Amino acid sequence: MNGVLHRVGSSILSLSREVGGLAVLLGQITVRLFPPHLDGKETWRSFYKVGVKSTPIVVTTALLTGAIMAVQSSAFIEEWGAYGLLGWGAGFSIMREVGPILIGLMFSGRVGANNTAELGTMKVTEQIDALRTLAIDPISYLIMPRFVAMIVMLVLLTVIGDLFALVGAMIFADLMIDVSPQVFWHSLLEMTYLIDFLVGVIKAGFFGFAIALVSCHYGLKVTGGAVGVGRAVNNCVVASAIGIFFLDYLLTPLIDSAWAALFIRYG
Amino acid sequence: MIRVAHVTKYRGRQAVLKDVSFEIPAGASLALIGPGGCGKTLLTKIIGGLVRPDQGEVWVDGQEITRLSEIELTRVRFKIGMLFQNYALFDFMDVGDNIAFPLRQEGKLDEEEIASQVEAILKEVDLPGIERLQVNELSGGMKRRVTFARAVIRRPPILVYDDPTAGLDPVTSSKIFILLDRLQRQGATTSITISHDLVGLRSICTKWAMLVAGEVVFFGTSEEIERSPTKVVRQFWMGESDEV
Repeated sequence: MNGVLHRVGSSILSLSREVGGLAVLLGQITVRLFPPHLDGKETWRSFYKVGVKSTPIVVTTALLTGAIMAVQSSAFIEEWGAYGLLGWGAGFSIMREVGPILIGLMFSGRVGANNTAELGTMKVTEQIDALRTLAIDPISYLIMPRFVAMIVMLVLLTVIGDLFALVGAMIFADLMIDVSPQVFWHSLLEMTYLIDFLVGVIKAGFFGFAIALVSCHYGLKVTGGAVGVGRAVNNCVVASAIGIFFLDYLLTPLIDSAWAALFIRYG
Repeated sequence: MIRVAHVTKYRGRQAVLKDVSFEIPAGASLALIGPGGCGKTLLTKIIGGLVRPDQGEVWVDGQEITRLSEIELTRVRFKIGMLFQNYALFDFMDVGDNIAFPLRQEGKLDEEEIASQVEAILKEVDLPGIERLQVNELSGGMKRRVTFARAVIRRPPILVYDDPTAGLDPVTSSKIFILLDRLQRQGATTSITISHDLVGLRSICTKWAMLVAGEVVFFGTSEEIERSPTKVVRQFWMGESDEV
């Protein structure tokens, strides 16, 4: 009984420490936003690394995901003769859920893990201490550019990913069940709404925020050399994935309700 | 210039520094010696404002630094140059950018002036023309000298060297100590040097502090340490062991 209580207590303490650490880091970032101070060179480097270098993998994954969606649904579409619904079905699911979640998870695995590993290695090789001794604030110099780049770039990558997933679905719909691109796009544009696109994009911004916060937090608290870096990367990927699904669950109804309220109010 | 007063630091429940006190006058060079794991590096990090002590005070150039915020500490850190045991060179930059980095962040000089200062300091550390080399292309001795160049390029009045000759061959070690001595004389800096190379330390240091298990067991001049009656100090100084 004591052992169980001890384990439960330790888990609660450990979770509190992580949440506290995330809150402290968020506070440190918020303080530095007024006035915002970003190192130009480091910010461009982050945008390039986070965004440009992630584009090929996002495009490939999105294309294949769209294709798989068309392949998987082709049997049902044919059975029910619902050819005119394929564009809507693909667009609705890709823009609202599959796009932001899949690209968010890809992003956390590629960019978040890399960020944790890089910051963690800088921590254990005393490069972060070196920055501080050179009178340079590591939060302003290292964290802020990564934070901004991750949020902005995940939104942009989600938009690009949505587009390529739809293209993949369209190509395979044409190849597998002869749904022409015209029918596909007509169904997509007629039956999906701006909110379907916005839900995904807004969620992507929050996912980027969560991945940035979690990856920087785990990177900055690394101790214990290579083993510590490995552990931090693992924790970052797990926590980011949990964060993405948790935020998804929380944000989807929230954004829909907010949109509905706006729609009722302003027509 | 530097005053450490009753500094204590705990790791968990264990005190790793116990009531450490000493004072280094301006322009003096202190050798910080002691067996591995006795808290030397931790003490220098406390003096550099990188770690906060649990008790005690640290005064740098007349300012108590242990209660300053990170932003206030930035101003103090302009006065301190630190040379880390593991080099701590930024591996995403080449040698020139590493050395130029503190000057660029300060934002007082244009690129031409920065380049000329980098060139001059590289000559000073006997590594001319290596600005465009990557950090991973350097040997241990070269890395040490590049780290040194980066630490001193802003000419801070206080320098802290954590094991500047660790892992280097005797010839390179000797060159490093000659370099430290030269820069010490040129800049009239206050310095703290951690090293196990007592011969090298003797060539540059005027004051000695010895830590054992987090406690200061000796503080004094070179003459005093040579004549110290304390067994542990004498044994460390002479390189003797209890075991036969």
